[in-house]
Amino acid sequence: MLAGILIVAAVALAVVAAVGWPLVTHRADDPVEDPAADARRAVDEDLQRALEAIREIDMDHRAGNLSDEDFAELDAAERARAVELMRRADELAAP
Amino acid sequence: MSILGRAALLLALVGAIYVVVMSLASRRPGRRSWELSAERGVYAVFAFTTLAALTMWFALVTDSFELRNVAEYSSTTLSTPYKLTALWGSQAGSLLLWAWILSGFSAVVVYTNRARNRQLMPVVMAVLMGIAIFFLGVLSFVTSPFETLAQAPAEGRGLNPLLQNVYMQIHPPLLYLGYVGLSVPFAFAMAALVTRKLDTAWITSVRRWTIVSWIFLGAGILVGAKWAYETLGWGGYWAWDPVENAAFMPWLVATAFLHSVMVQERRGMLKVWNMVLVIMTFSLCLFGTFLTRSGIIASVHAFGESTLGPFFLVFIVAVLVGSVALLVTRLPLLRSAHSLESYLSREAIFLFNNLLLVGLAFAVFWGTMFPILSEAARGRRITVGQGYYEQVATPIAIALLVLTGVGPLIAWRKSSAAQLRRRFVVPLAVAAASIVPLALLTDMTSNWAASAVAVAGVFVVACITGEFWRGMRVRHALGGVSWPGALVGMVARNRRRYGGYIVHLAIVVLFIGLAGSKGFATQADVALRPGDRATVAGYTLLNEGATRGADAHKSTTSVKIGVFRGGDRVGTLYPGVITYTLDETRASQVAIKSGPQRDLYLFLSQLQDDGLARISVFVNPLVSWIWFAGVMIVAGGLLAGWPSRPSGRREPAGSPASDGRAAA
Repeated sequence: MLAGILIVAAVALAVVAAVGWPLVTHRADDPVEDPAADARRAVDEDLQRALEAIREIDMDHRAGNLSDEDFAELDAAERARAVELMRRADELAAP
Repeated sequence: MSILGRAALLLALVGAIYVVVMSLASRRPGRRSWELSAERGVYAVFAFTTLAALTMWFALVTDSFELRNVAEYSSTTLSTPYKLTALWGSQAGSLLLWAWILSGFSAVVVYTNRARNRQLMPVVMAVLMGIAIFFLGVLSFVTSPFETLAQAPAEGRGLNPLLQNVYMQIHPPLLYLGYVGLSVPFAFAMAALVTRKLDTAWITSVRRWTIVSWIFLGAGILVGAKWAYETLGWGGYWAWDPVENAAFMPWLVATAFLHSVMVQERRGMLKVWNMVLVIMTFSLCLFGTFLTRSGIIASVHAFGESTLGPFFLVFIVAVLVGSVALLVTRLPLLRSAHSLESYLSREAIFLFNNLLLVGLAFAVFWGTMFPILSEAARGRRITVGQGYYEQVATPIAIALLVLTGVGPLIAWRKSSAAQLRRRFVVPLAVAAASIVPLALLTDMTSNWAASAVAVAGVFVVACITGEFWRGMRVRHALGGVSWPGALVGMVARNRRRYGGYIVHLAIVVLFIGLAGSKGFATQADVALRPGDRATVAGYTLLNEGATRGADAHKSTTSVKIGVFRGGDRVGTLYPGVITYTLDETRASQVAIKSGPQRDLYLFLSQLQDDGLARISVFVNPLVSWIWFAGVMIVAGGLLAGWPSRPSGRREPAGSPASDGRAAA
């Protein structure tokens, strides 16, 4: 029983120290998080999806799954979306 | 041992509460250190639940019968692998497994998102640890796996013989991995609602979790079906048992989500619907856990009577009310970016597919709950038989099967009539042409549902094969690569799409297996004295006498059956009965000769002293297709969910390249 209590106490102490450490070591000059980082990543992921969609539409067209007219319309829409996302990505990346 | 386990669970509970408080408080600006502390708290919860699980495993392996859980579900005669799996043989042990997997998944979520989703993560942690608080609370205060007995018995009661099976060693963990994994999409969805960050970030973050959980849940369902087939002795694998249904419902809704999420990613539509699906999926996972543990239903898969039901019910209601209320308050933010332009578009097909999947889930839910509702309303439990389920599920399943072929051939936004004609002429012609050989060479015409499945299956295979062929042709022409190279390159470049196609092919294989085994099974009861023969569905069975074997753990009595087909001996089977030494409990030893065309399945119902063997004989066509489909589903799912190599990132003008912290 004593061994069990000692194990738990030792583990608990180590865990409390590890969990509390960021609170103890926090300094006022800790780097401030970049609030735009998530937005940049989201735009970047959207852009990757748009580029993937363009490739897929192209593949579908070449494979004969899309007529020339449908391809032209879908491709133009997706490319416009990609350009807009690139513009937003550049805005977010600007200092 | 008991103190160590209980203390570990209590510390995990305290840790989970700490994480909820700290992570929610950390949402205020300037409290990054609080969030870091909460993240470490999640790791601590995982460490403590791991300690609790290891303690229980140690107790099981060392036969610590002072613990009730060990005394009631293990014995000295059990082999070590079964002692380890006895953890989930008990109610409390299985809840410990739930909590352990949840804390492990939470730790993985925190680790993989340490540099992303910063706004979402505090709420994600709070939701995951909120769920953990429920399970750890139940384990600490309602049904502890570390409860001790006043006097330790010299020997334990042993594990239920039905659970002493390799499939039962992996079926529950697979199901729990699926159930618990689906709490991650729920946590991200709630975080997106709370933070009003309702772009596609949360969808991207949960896609892989959903696929992996869906694979685990599907594999768990199929392994459970195989266990039932090889253990229970009734010749079938699926009986629409409430607990089977409980795992099937979230799988159906998760399947709907996996499809509809593509519509949101591609077209910015179905945002509310996706939230609803995530909430439904997680609630159904909890409902399944509730059904198995509440004692409100009788099932070979369920635990016995317990006091857990009300706790689970309150938790499910709290989850449902809380999440739906949150969703309602955010409705104005979830407006679709586009509207449905045509019913002949891929998004429309996905919508139909979703309606069918959710409709089927609702029908299964209704059938599962009806006995309970009828008892509550009229005081009489009205059982819903397999007939109801098969009547409802069959047409829906056939429609879904057709859509698995139609969906990939229809373009996003809209498809022209000429386009549809061009795409569907060949698959329809192949399906129509298949009717003749199917009618001439098989018994399909005697069963309309099986015929429809077979023809629809041919149609889907033709559609998907056409997709592979066209893709390969394009790559072959573009890159000047060999045909196999074109196939590999094509699949590698779009794993999600072609992994999905492999799953669709697996669904065809699965449905053909289901149609064959459900529609054309033969069953007969025969009584054979030694030297007697009987013929069933082309198989001649010869009783070649009884055999007996024993070890320290069990004794087996079986009858040796020579199997002949067309005059040739094709095998020997040993249907029998296993008697466990410890408590004289018995289990059947089903004998199966499995093949791609059919299974010969023998169940010994009686063996008399004079050697007379009464045997139930089942000849089940195409059952092995079902298990093969399971392997294909896992392979296709893994391919679809496998992480892609980070594509070359575009470097914005005038700014440094990305910070290198690649998405997990």
